[in-house]
Amino acid sequence: MDWKELKQNFGDFVHGYFVSEYERKLREQFVDLNDLFMLQCFMELVGLPNPAAIYLLDVYPFFLEEFHTWHRRMGMDRSPIGSMPCC
Amino acid sequence: MAPSHGHGPFAHRQHALLLKRILFFGGKGGVGKTTCASAVALAASRRGKRVLLVSTDPAHSTSDIFGTPFAAEEREVLPGLYGLEVDASLEARRYIDTAKAGIARMFSPAVAREAERQIELASSMPGVEEVALFDRIGDLIVDRFDAYDLLIFDTAPTGHTLRLLRMPELVSAWITALSKRRRALLALNKDIDQLRLTPEAMNPDEDPILKTLDARREKLEQVRARLMQHNFTGFVLVVIPERLPIEETARAAALLAESNVNVCEIVVNRVLPADADGDFYRSRRAQEHLYIEEITRRFAQYPLAWVPQLPTDIYGLDNLERVSSVLIAPL
Repeated sequence: MDWKELKQNFGDFVHGYFVSEYERKLREQFVDLNDLFMLQCFMELVGLPNPAAIYLLDVYPFFLEEFHTWHRRMGMDRSPIGSMPCC
Repeated sequence: MAPSHGHGPFAHRQHALLLKRILFFGGKGGVGKTTCASAVALAASRRGKRVLLVSTDPAHSTSDIFGTPFAAEEREVLPGLYGLEVDASLEARRYIDTAKAGIARMFSPAVAREAERQIELASSMPGVEEVALFDRIGDLIVDRFDAYDLLIFDTAPTGHTLRLLRMPELVSAWITALSKRRRALLALNKDIDQLRLTPEAMNPDEDPILKTLDARREKLEQVRARLMQHNFTGFVLVVIPERLPIEETARAAALLAESNVNVCEIVVNRVLPADADGDFYRSRRAQEHLYIEEITRRFAQYPLAWVPQLPTDIYGLDNLERVSSVLIAPL
């Protein structure tokens, strides 16, 4: 291993160390924001009225994947909304 | 003071109604909204305008007044006068069916079948019919605006209608919040992606969710803008000289002003005619006189139109013509 290679490895390590830390923070933030977004889309779940509920029927199909991860993370094993038939 | 029955100082102002492009008729149940809306529609069509009279009241008395059924599709009832009956539950159905078709397209038949029953439940959720009804009114206001000279909406009793008019504000604020969040999410997603060697994040403009939400909001904003355009949209409140309708009308007028909707006229319906005789009428008129004074005082800032009580109930064209000539001075 020559000096150049070592320098490269060290550089990669430092870069990876900081970037992954940064990425983790970003991902955490993303998850939080997404939870909030999903909550606003599926307010009926927590018994709150959702003024745009019927308009959201349009976008529900696009949500399916995200909705699945979301309801699992929220501690609901199966899809809590029948019209979202993910599981 | 004696109300001038369609003549005198008010008569020339009635034509202001015909300068509008969109008119809503509202008031407490049973005060004669449908009659007045039909009468104005008739007068406008007689003047050569293409008029669409839309009945949104679940009671649907428009068909009865014209003696011909109004359908769920626009249909010429009289020369130049087109009728349409909007059925809230039918609209809700239609909307739910569209959503269902979307789901059926994206998932396996088994899953779609499973979902079917629950979607059915969604259609009976409170508020769904209201939104669907509003959606249809919005479609008419935006898409059929150019096809007619005048759109007249005969609305359900006051409370319902006012909620309806405030809906775009509420829903579009909600959707704005949603789409803002979605945008933030996508931006964050892009940041994360850019840390990789081969970024592949989707362009926010191509996100189907954001696209759908934004299209919705745009439509709502368009409807809202039309509703608040004072020079061509007006709300006509119909009242009868009695305690409860007066109070309800005052509240409605205040709420409409708050929502920046122009109240362009107040029609005082079923005013006892001056020649009604007998002790019974004398006593009724004495009481009515007080209410008429009150109406004149409380609604001073609005143009008022007075429609006398007719000797018969309003049914059929002949009678409608009489109301029409009171509301809008004949040619």
